[in-house]
Amino acid sequence: MGVLYCLMSLGVNFIYGIMKVINWAIGEFFMIGAYVQYLLIVFFLGVRYWYIGVLIAALCTFLLGALVQKILIKPMFVGIIEEKMEYATIVTIAMAILFRNLAIFIGGPFIYTPPDYAPPTRIGPLPVSGNNVIAFIGTIIILAFFFYFLKRTWIGKAFQAVSQNRPGVLTAGIDVLKFDMIAFGIGTALAGAGGALLAPVLLVYPLCGVIPTVRGFEIIVIGGLGSIPGVFVAGLSLGIAESLGAAFINPSFVDIYGFGLLMLILLIKPYGLFGKPERSV
Amino acid sequence: MLTIEKITSGYVEGIDILWDISLDVKNSLITGIIGPNGAGKSTLLKTIFGFLHPHRGKIKFEDKEIQDYHPYHLKQMGISYMLQEFSTFPQMTVRDNLSLGAWVFRSDRNLVKKRLEEVYEFFPLLWERQTEKATYLSGGILRMLSLGKEIMSKPKLFLVDEPSSGLAPMIVKEIYGFLKKIAEQGATILIVDQNIMKVLEISHYMYLIEMGQVKQAGPKEDFEGNIREIIRESLIDK
Repeated sequence: MGVLYCLMSLGVNFIYGIMKVINWAIGEFFMIGAYVQYLLIVFFLGVRYWYIGVLIAALCTFLLGALVQKILIKPMFVGIIEEKMEYATIVTIAMAILFRNLAIFIGGPFIYTPPDYAPPTRIGPLPVSGNNVIAFIGTIIILAFFFYFLKRTWIGKAFQAVSQNRPGVLTAGIDVLKFDMIAFGIGTALAGAGGALLAPVLLVYPLCGVIPTVRGFEIIVIGGLGSIPGVFVAGLSLGIAESLGAAFINPSFVDIYGFGLLMLILLIKPYGLFGKPERSV
Repeated sequence: MLTIEKITSGYVEGIDILWDISLDVKNSLITGIIGPNGAGKSTLLKTIFGFLHPHRGKIKFEDKEIQDYHPYHLKQMGISYMLQEFSTFPQMTVRDNLSLGAWVFRSDRNLVKKRLEEVYEFFPLLWERQTEKATYLSGGILRMLSLGKEIMSKPKLFLVDEPSSGLAPMIVKEIYGFLKKIAEQGATILIVDQNIMKVLEISHYMYLIEMGQVKQAGPKEDFEGNIREIIRESLIDK
């Protein structure tokens, strides 16, 4: 189950890596992705084409994220001398509140239940929910694409470069502010795709992004802020910790085991599993 | 090639570092700028490369006004800028670092490959370590990597900021040798350095800046005779 929240963590991590801004509204982009997916499969596409819905939901959240970045966050990054990351972070908190209330305003305080993507199935002797399997596979596919994009393409390499040395990117002739905008869009699109994939599991309502946000941040802290392989490993270990805790201790306290793991990891590795201490002047 | 007409520039509105400064960089020559700490040498380069936009005045490159241009436009026009700090990407390989220097013409794969080979020929040490991450390189090789990355685009005008900072004298000599070779291959260089003797050695024309203004300008020979006095007067007494 932990892996299912990886897209959220990856979204936050990617935006943080590029802009050094933590996007606290990531859960709301997850929620928007879920709403878009619900509308699409119930009214337009039908549940058979849920995967097209996921793509469209990701595209919508990409455009929305890029637009929001351009209007609200970019002005704080123009002029190279002093970037106002803290201000930008607070803007994302305001955005989270705004989007949540907009969702209540437009869709009402109701819980919408999308139809199942797949019927319950079995892996060996184990009965599992088809939705979970699909969300798991979908997440892995998106993670793999994202990893390929980052490591192998020119644009992916430029993103890596932006996260490592902004002035160095400017002297290479790369338009850093444009990359900021696209990075914010990609980060929110990852969350949107996550929301669309998990819609039948977590259901669709104005606060449906809150739990994934908490889990997403748990994963980031366990894996190390800014580390992409860390996200995957941390997602897996979180899922395993929760399942083992539920099976051997008590299933009622499932949310606690993740935090227990988090504290344990931080005691041993204060920067998370793959995080690196940052050099500062 | 580059003409700066009475620019006033600085980091914050209302606090100017450069005051009505004018200078001229001639085609295929090395122009050196010297001056005490805080004179505005680096600010000048940052203003030319669009990191800062001047509050007043004009900058012309090949008869085009460029004072409002952004770094990526200027790079496309054939200007490169080597920062005082390393402009390399620590978690990427030497090869990827250099490739990103070719960003503006990345769609032309053959050209990227050709330039990469040229840079490796220029810096054989980089070729030997092309698969290593930049973070494992020493200061001297990192400086070479920064140079290599910026000359991937074969600039017409190359702005160089403090190439000797933090390096051992032997390596400084080597880096200056490379700069001279880059100029011989046709690039115009505008160089700023604290290492006055080295700047004097390779420059054809010199400027002495103090408090954001040009205090003295002239061909290298004008400076050579009385360089000790210049150093004493402008750089030590104040």
